[in-house]
Amino acid sequence: MRIWKKLMVGFGVYVTLAAIIGIFAYVELRTITKRFTVVEVADDITNIILEVRRFEKNFLLYKDDDTFQEIKKYLAVLTDDTDKIRKEIIKEVGTDNYEMMKNAIAEYDFQINILSKNFKLQKEFISKIGVLTRSIEKNLSGDVLNSFLIVRKYEKNLMIYRDKDIYATLINTLNSPKFATAEVNRYRSLINGLFKLYREEQSSIEKIRSKARNIQTFTEDLSKRERANITTILSRSAILLLFAVLTIIILGTAVNIKIANSIATPLKQLEGITKKIATADFSKRIDVRGKDELASLGTAFNQMQDQLQNTMRFLELANEKLRESRAQLVETEKLATLGRFSAGVAHEINNPLAIINEKAGLMKDYIDMSEDFPNKEKFNVMLNAIFDSVRRCSSITHRILGFARKTDITPEAINLNSLVNEVLKFLEKEILYKSIRLELELSEALPVIKSDKIQLQQVFLNIIKNAADAVEEGGLIRISTGIKNNTTFQVSVEDNGYGIPKEMLKNIFEPFFTTKEKGKGTGLGLSISYGIIKKLGGNILVKSEQNKGTTFTVEIPV
Amino acid sequence: MRTTKVLIVDDEVEFASTLSERLSLRKYDAKAVYCAEDAFAIARSNPPDVVLLDLKIPGMEGTEIGKIIKQFNPAIQIILLTGESENKIISENLGKDISDYIVKPVEIGELTKKIDNAMKEKEKLDHSKGQP
Repeated sequence: MRIWKKLMVGFGVYVTLAAIIGIFAYVELRTITKRFTVVEVADDITNIILEVRRFEKNFLLYKDDDTFQEIKKYLAVLTDDTDKIRKEIIKEVGTDNYEMMKNAIAEYDFQINILSKNFKLQKEFISKIGVLTRSIEKNLSGDVLNSFLIVRKYEKNLMIYRDKDIYATLINTLNSPKFATAEVNRYRSLINGLFKLYREEQSSIEKIRSKARNIQTFTEDLSKRERANITTILSRSAILLLFAVLTIIILGTAVNIKIANSIATPLKQLEGITKKIATADFSKRIDVRGKDELASLGTAFNQMQDQLQNTMRFLELANEKLRESRAQLVETEKLATLGRFSAGVAHEINNPLAIINEKAGLMKDYIDMSEDFPNKEKFNVMLNAIFDSVRRCSSITHRILGFARKTDITPEAINLNSLVNEVLKFLEKEILYKSIRLELELSEALPVIKSDKIQLQQVFLNIIKNAADAVEEGGLIRISTGIKNNTTFQVSVEDNGYGIPKEMLKNIFEPFFTTKEKGKGTGLGLSISYGIIKKLGGNILVKSEQNKGTTFTVEIPV
Repeated sequence: MRTTKVLIVDDEVEFASTLSERLSLRKYDAKAVYCAEDAFAIARSNPPDVVLLDLKIPGMEGTEIGKIIKQFNPAIQIILLTGESENKIISENLGKDISDYIVKPVEIGELTKKIDNAMKEKEKLDHSKGQP
């Protein structure tokens, strides 16, 4: 994931969680607000019911139309309010209960209407009774009148107590034959009607009270329920909010720590490796993970480090080569200087040597021509010693001159195997004479080498001649050619001769150093060979064990 | 076979004179000179058969001297005296103006052999010239 995406995720987690909590809190608040409305309405309804009950009492007491109208007005409000919170009520108590409440209100309204009509009829009946009784009393007299007056007393009691027994007594009294008049019959039916109204009133009042109580209980219950709900919601919200805040803190922090780590860890690693590189330690590589900018940075960094390391290695190698070639140059220059100097010395010595040779020769000429004289033989011996010494000297000067002259390399294509065979031809006589066993292991797959043929010939002549000198009669010389690492030609000359003492090994390439008998070697062969091979950029290695043999290995670069 | 006239040209007086004496003892008509001018004078007045010529005479290269001497008589054989066995100058001039060479210090037997060989060559040339 890319870094900005990571950061957006970290930020997004906070924002999302905060938004969720915000929305949640908003919804909860809205719910609570709605619930409060319900509570308010429920409280209103309760109050209205109480008001209605108050008017109801008055109405039952005064039976007046004004109070009736008030009741009607409040009932209308009650119906409205109930409709207002219909949904909430249904939700809270169910459709059946809601319908029951609506019916209760309707029933109450209905009964109040009946009661109102009842009251009007009662008034009508009472006034009719008043008019009728006055007429009856006017027409009656004596006992009958007295009896009727008693009836009137019953009538008063009936109006006050509305008692069934009083009603029965009254009707029984009226049923006596002395009251068998049309007016009294009318009176009786009025009393019957009135009593019937009383009974109806009673039943209505009971119904009204019952319904009013129902409504009251219902609304009070509703209000109570809503308050309880609000309390529940509030405590639930509080717990959920607390939980949400904790979630934000824990989850948000965890996500951000993880993101911070995923950014910081590679950077730390990069820092560590950079410090290592600063101390030229290339051992560590960045462990590239993921696909973000840091990963591509890591990949690029690793590539850079590889490149840097390669460059460093290349530079070290180049430096090493430079040092080597400079050392070789110095050595070549040293050799050249030494060569020029030696050549100068050799040349200067050679001329007097020639004079000595001629003078001694002339002496010998004269002695040879002379008759015998004392010590003639001694002179001859001495002169021969002089000739020997001259030869020794001249072989040295000639070798020095021969080497020093060849400062230039004339490269030509050479087959090393043919070269070895050519050199062996020079030594044929000596090898035959000493019955030396010659073993050749010449590699057939040897490429052609470009080098100075005459100088190489000289080198192998020196080395193989040394080997031939070193072995006893019937000794062994093994010559092998090969190529090493495709970069270096190798020619090894191994003998089983008397070997070179360990302490002398380090001196063998020094000029004039020889392990041969005096007068047998100039001590220049290996020195010159070494000079030549070094000049060609190669090397001569030597392994030797006394009385076991010596191996010279010449290495020449391809 | 007539006496071979040998002229030795070398600035090393002791070497040249001694060698001349040794050749004289061996019945050669030997003469030594120590500079180029003397060599030319002899070559003109009494031309030698064989010239032993040092590779380096002060003021002049041996090969130059050889060339000039050959102008007097191309049949004159020139043997170079040299300090070293292998030399570019010799290899370049051998068979042209220079018929042979010998390395100092010289073995007298080897030298007389070379002189005799050169003389045979000279006589051959004289013969072909004398009888055209």
